[in-house]
Amino acid sequence: MTEIDLWLVPLLMALLVGVLCPVTGTLLVTQRRVLQANLISHAVLPGVAVAVAFGLDPAIGGVLSGLLGSLLAERLQRGQSAGQEAVINTVLAGFLGLGVLLIPLLNLRLDLEGLLFGDLLIVDWSDLTRVLVAAAAMGLLLLARYRQLVFLGVDPEGAQASGLPVRSLQLMQSLVTSMVIVSAMAAVGVILVIGLLCAPVLPGLRRVGSLRAAMVQSAGMGLAVSAIGFLLAVPLNLPPGPLIGVVCMALLCLPKLTLQWRPAWTRQ
Amino acid sequence: MGTAPLIADSVSAAFDERVVLQDVSLTLQPGTLTALVGANGAGKSTLLHLLQGQLSPTSGRVLCDGLPVQRCRDQVALMPQRGRIDWSFPITVREFVDLGSVRSRSYGCCDTEAALQRVGLAALAGRRLDALSGGQQQRALLARALVQPSRVLLLDEPCAAIDPPSRAQLLQLMRQLADAGQTLLVSSHDWGSALDQYDRVIVLDGRVLADGTPDQIRRRLGDQLDPGAHCHD
Repeated sequence: MTEIDLWLVPLLMALLVGVLCPVTGTLLVTQRRVLQANLISHAVLPGVAVAVAFGLDPAIGGVLSGLLGSLLAERLQRGQSAGQEAVINTVLAGFLGLGVLLIPLLNLRLDLEGLLFGDLLIVDWSDLTRVLVAAAAMGLLLLARYRQLVFLGVDPEGAQASGLPVRSLQLMQSLVTSMVIVSAMAAVGVILVIGLLCAPVLPGLRRVGSLRAAMVQSAGMGLAVSAIGFLLAVPLNLPPGPLIGVVCMALLCLPKLTLQWRPAWTRQ
Repeated sequence: MGTAPLIADSVSAAFDERVVLQDVSLTLQPGTLTALVGANGAGKSTLLHLLQGQLSPTSGRVLCDGLPVQRCRDQVALMPQRGRIDWSFPITVREFVDLGSVRSRSYGCCDTEAALQRVGLAALAGRRLDALSGGQQQRALLARALVQPSRVLLLDEPCAAIDPPSRAQLLQLMRQLADAGQTLLVSSHDWGSALDQYDRVIVLDGRVLADGTPDQIRRRLGDQLDPGAHCHD
């Protein structure tokens, strides 16, 4: 790895993930499927472990495992009028536990901390390629199904009544979400990715007039969050992934704090 | 228009072994405005979903132009209850109405702009959906249904939770659509003097209790009629 690669690749990775995650998150937040995304992010672990054990690309195992977790939760939720969140969280814990158990059982040398919280400073071109593939998948989904996704978000029952293939749309979306989460794993880890999926979406959501505009503003916000996290990490000598998570929370807190601490003369 | 675009033939429905509808038969004639009235839990929404082909009956059948309704769902548009919509979704009124044509390149009675004009929302088309009043949101829902290339419009509680002037406006719109040849079935749990605005009234309580013109219904059910308002007082 050259000197340039040492900084350029992590920086590019941070910026790309900073754009891709909020775009994906905009769909999830507006469709109220954030909990499902959190489940997917935790459910990738057993797949990664099995893929490593069989010498396969961990990303493929992670995507399949994330998708499997999502489908299992959906199946178990059927016919449950109450307790749907409990089902999702139970499946989340089950998959995470399974992943943690598989590592010693399969005698794997896996950096669990790196998987959970990411390590931007050791990413390479293959990690960048995975993000680009996930970005292409998201781009294709949006190009081909944008209006249907809007319909699904604003009126899921109406979308079904109109004869839209709601089930396959949701499946496609789960697959792309799994790809995005797995590709972001190297940068921010499966635990912290949820912050980057959600936080940049929220500040401007009430002001924009379309899902497209919400995605653009989220992407801009995510880019700024990632850049700030990465640039702070260097002088502070701290890991960039957790810093990005903290900046995400600050993004939500700052406007409220600013409002509360406004000088008295501006509070008219 | 052909005859009898929508027929329910001895339709029953049950959820978790609880019977919601039993042996319901009705025929909707083209160009008519029909009220489907009954208390909460009478099975009105279930019947509308069966008529739209979204649910399948446990027995009986629903026919649209002589075919099972699942084969011509495009012909039957359902305007859902307002509680089903995420009004805070980032979308303009125009984009929301345009969703009515999401499965088809052709339009129903009108294209998006004409539908917006028809319901009186053309001037507000660029606004966010959550910037509209409750009555305006109901009209946006109706405009979306109008854009669908359908001959039958099923409206689930369109007058719920909106102010009396908005209700009157909505009812007037529905009357105009029926006069233009559209077939409308409108559900409500409220009923009263506004029943006169309808060509026909069907009273439902798990089964059809009464079916006829507003006068016939009054004569038949008399004292049982709730003095509360239907679509407007």
